[in-house]
Amino acid sequence: MIAAIDIDALLELVWAAPLAVLVVTVAWALVIRGTTGALEARRDRRAIPAARSAFVALAGAVLFAMALAFGLLIMLSKS
Amino acid sequence: MESDIILVIVVVTALAFDFTNGFHDTANSVATSISTRALAPKTAVGLAAILNFAGAFISLKVAATIAGGIVDAQIVTPTVIFAGLIGAIFWNLLTWYFGLPSSSSHALIGGVVGAAFAAAGAGAIKGAGLLEKVIVPALVAPVVAFLAAGMAILIAYRMVGGLHPGPVNRGYRLGQIASLSLLSLSHGTNDAQKTMGIITLALIANGSLAGASPDPPLWVIVSAASAIALGTYSGGWRIIRTMGSRIIKMDPAQGFAAQTGGAAVLLTAAHLGFPLSTTHSITGAVLGAGAAKRLSAVRWGLAGNIFLAWVLTLPCAAAVGALTFGVTNVFGDGALGPLLVSGALLALMGVVFGKRLQRGPALTTAGSA
Repeated sequence: MIAAIDIDALLELVWAAPLAVLVVTVAWALVIRGTTGALEARRDRRAIPAARSAFVALAGAVLFAMALAFGLLIMLSKS
Repeated sequence: MESDIILVIVVVTALAFDFTNGFHDTANSVATSISTRALAPKTAVGLAAILNFAGAFISLKVAATIAGGIVDAQIVTPTVIFAGLIGAIFWNLLTWYFGLPSSSSHALIGGVVGAAFAAAGAGAIKGAGLLEKVIVPALVAPVVAFLAAGMAILIAYRMVGGLHPGPVNRGYRLGQIASLSLLSLSHGTNDAQKTMGIITLALIANGSLAGASPDPPLWVIVSAASAIALGTYSGGWRIIRTMGSRIIKMDPAQGFAAQTGGAAVLLTAAHLGFPLSTTHSITGAVLGAGAAKRLSAVRWGLAGNIFLAWVLTLPCAAAVGALTFGVTNVFGDGALGPLLVSGALLALMGVVFGKRLQRGPALTTAGSA
């Protein structure tokens, strides 16, 4: 009866799911951190830190969008 | 003529199950967003309903058999399906009444298993399939989601902990809208398929649809999508309250961690061909997001009640499925049995809902969320 369980898929899930969560969480935290930092730096008229924070936010947003797109692809690939 | 009446009853019952499925599972995608005020309650259920409807059209890979690999396909007749659906509807309504999240898929499998047992005995049940498709996923989903969401909230607090709470909360509320959308779309994709599969199977059994595994007709797709969307829009507010605020009092970062944790686990599992219960994953993630912040923040007594409901889902739905099959069989193979059982169930539901409404709208509307 135990043979019915796909142990490989199960083990892969145990490391792949937390990895996916890690990517999404870090990506969104970068967006928040970058946006907040950019707004504060811009308010203080510090151009370079503002640009650096904006880049961090943009990188996080791209990563987050890629994760969402991958989620959509998984749904579409079932058809 | 007789078989056409049974077909109509099975189709209507399947759509009723689909409605309770949407109604019961609304909490999975909207509860945390409502709780953290990322979205207003009506906006959240409206968005979830639209995306559940859209999700039903994304994938049309319909299961050819109900509880495939779990019961012997040869004994699955329209009456067995009908009895299984009644078992699942009963369990969905009972758990909704007590505000407990539980898996609609497991309830449906339980109902069909019970009806198959009553129809053909223990030989019709495949223990290995039950272990692979119900028991192992039920153990794995909440544990992996718990750990993933716990890890997510710790990382989130570490990365944004030193910032002003205002922008951070606004940011996580915005992120929750994205994760709610992904979860709702995924739910529509997965769960509307079950109803399409049931109706398609009933049509094949009745000779109304030819072929071994034909695509469902358009009216089946549209009606299944509409039923789950309407159910979602109706909102199972009692379960939403449990998931959103009774298990833990969550902040926007915890809501985001719970939603993304649950969604990531579900989609990773789907990618690996290892389907898990949405309810089990999201509940595990909510517990993880709460426990990682502070163990005492979780109401473990309520969590225990939820776990008990999960353990009881299969046997209770099976018992009702078996009982329904037995009662239906007393009236022979015709349509009289299903008609009488449907009538009795409708009357029972009318009484239960009537009594709840008499106690005040707060128990059944967005006000209680």
